[in-house]
Amino acid sequence: MMINRDKTFKTALFICAAASALATLLIFGFLLVFGLPLFKGGQFFLLLGRPWAPGQGMYGFLPMIAGTAAISLLSLVVAFPISLGVSFFLHSLAPAALGKILKRLVQFMTGVPTVIYGFIGVFLLVPLIREMFENGSGMCVLSASLMLGLLISPTMILFFSDGFAAVDKKYIQAARALGATRVQTLLFVVLPNAWRGLMTGLIMALGRAMGDTLIALMIAGNAVNVPSSLLDPARTLTSHIALVSAADYHSMEFKSIFACGVTLYLLNAAAVIAIRRFGAVGKDKAHV
Amino acid sequence: MDNSIIKITDLHFSYNGLKVLKGVTHSFEKNTLTAITGPSGKGKSTFLTTLNRLWEDVPGAALQGCVELKIAEKWRDVYASSMDIAALRRMVGMVFQIPNPLPMSIFRNMAFPLKLAGVKEKDQVQAKVQEALERAFLWDEVKDRLHSSALELSGGQQQRLCIARALILEPMVLLFDEPTSSLDYQAAGMIEDLLVSLKESCTVLMVSHYLDQVSRIADSRLELADGKLLLSNISR
Ligand SMILES: Nc1ncnc2c1ncn2[C@@H]1O[C@H](COP(=O)(O)OP(=O)(O)OP(=O)(O)O)[C@@H](O)[C@H]1O
Ligand SMILES: [Mg+2]
Repeated sequence: MMINRDKTFKTALFICAAASALATLLIFGFLLVFGLPLFKGGQFFLLLGRPWAPGQGMYGFLPMIAGTAAISLLSLVVAFPISLGVSFFLHSLAPAALGKILKRLVQFMTGVPTVIYGFIGVFLLVPLIREMFENGSGMCVLSASLMLGLLISPTMILFFSDGFAAVDKKYIQAARALGATRVQTLLFVVLPNAWRGLMTGLIMALGRAMGDTLIALMIAGNAVNVPSSLLDPARTLTSHIALVSAADYHSMEFKSIFACGVTLYLLNAAAVIAIRRFGAVGKDKAHV
Repeated sequence: MDNSIIKITDLHFSYNGLKVLKGVTHSFEKNTLTAITGPSGKGKSTFLTTLNRLWEDVPGAALQGCVELKIAEKWRDVYASSMDIAALRRMVGMVFQIPNPLPMSIFRNMAFPLKLAGVKEKDQVQAKVQEALERAFLWDEVKDRLHSSALELSGGQQQRLCIARALILEPMVLLFDEPTSSLDYQAAGMIEDLLVSLKESCTVLMVSHYLDQVSRIADSRLELADGKLLLSNISR
């Protein structure tokens, strides 16, 4: 009886896992098939490097790749220290009651719709940046990265906090009894042992940052060129897809966005692998 | 001549209003081994943490009274604002019931307190690590595997590692919270011998549940009852 139920449960879980893996593969296949006109004859790789000039028959999306890379990496740079600081505060400094309230707030923030962040960006951040730098419209890489950093921080904080909380209390007590300050305990004991949580948090947050469409669409300016400064406008792969697919269905432009999707997919996978690699090296260093 | 090194006066302690210590007064003599016994949950572990201020990590805990330590022939208030907690914990080491080596190599565990204290010189670290491991009767067993994980050691070896790790800072007081209760008879015997040998350089306080152990190694026994420490007989 027991064994039977166990087996049913396992089968159910297996089906769920298989279904989600299948869905991922299907989406990838779907993108490949629909982008086929552009893949024929190896054009895909040319696309990666070329500019976007549909009038001249050029459907390259180098600018969008650069936009996505710049904005999502910068948003990580913004979100990482904030998240690390907040999770550290929640873990070992905040009084219990305050910690609880803060954690609720962070959980709530993960559920706030992106468009709200975008809206705040348009009405608050963009004018602020415009005034501060007196250069351009304020719709730029910097605005989008800051806002996106804010958007992904709650996700990071939750993963980091869980990672910190999972560190055996015994280790923390050992370090404290040997005279470690709170900061030393964090650096030498908590962080190295929360490595998994940190990596997972980074990956999830990066996924959110790369996949997010609205914020970049609303406040990055959407100009199709490779940004050369923080104050330049930029267009991400996701906003590009959104902008083009809002136009017409039969043009070559439209077909090209499937290739754009494939690129986003691959870029995301590459980033995840890079973080994993980096993470594995870091972990070895932390433990020898 | 007054040979005491720890002086505790009218110590009260509570967790969120739950009174655990209700007026403890006692002096501990230098280079002795004092056993603290008593029923479970009455505050023995808590009492130990009042000496190295480890309880301060517990939210809602509160202490009243005076704990003094004789440092370089001068009485110093452990709770004075001028007291550096890290320095205090280097002078008052603690070993726990369940061995708690950090998840790193044996060598790194040993060097950890030195790293915290800012000792950087490699030869010095090396020499201190060996000396402390020798004093904890562990050197011969680990000298060929210093760079493998401390978590691979047996329970008794892990506990001796934790003792060695506390010794490396040359503490004047060592607190042991039931140091043998997670170990088998033989491993416990080794720790007992080790504790006795520590008296030469340190003052040792040990919480123990085993009266036979107390009678084997302790110089005196304090029973914690009703929030107070009472000097009790050791039945030999
Ligand atoms: N971190 C804590 N927070 C709140 N209450 C605590 C905490 N630690 C201990 N207590 C309470 O204080 C009392 C004394 O606990 P303590 O661990 O000092 O007892 P003990 O004599 O060491 O017991 P044992 O022999 O079982 O180890 C207990 O009632 C316990 O519930
Ligand atoms: Mg106890």
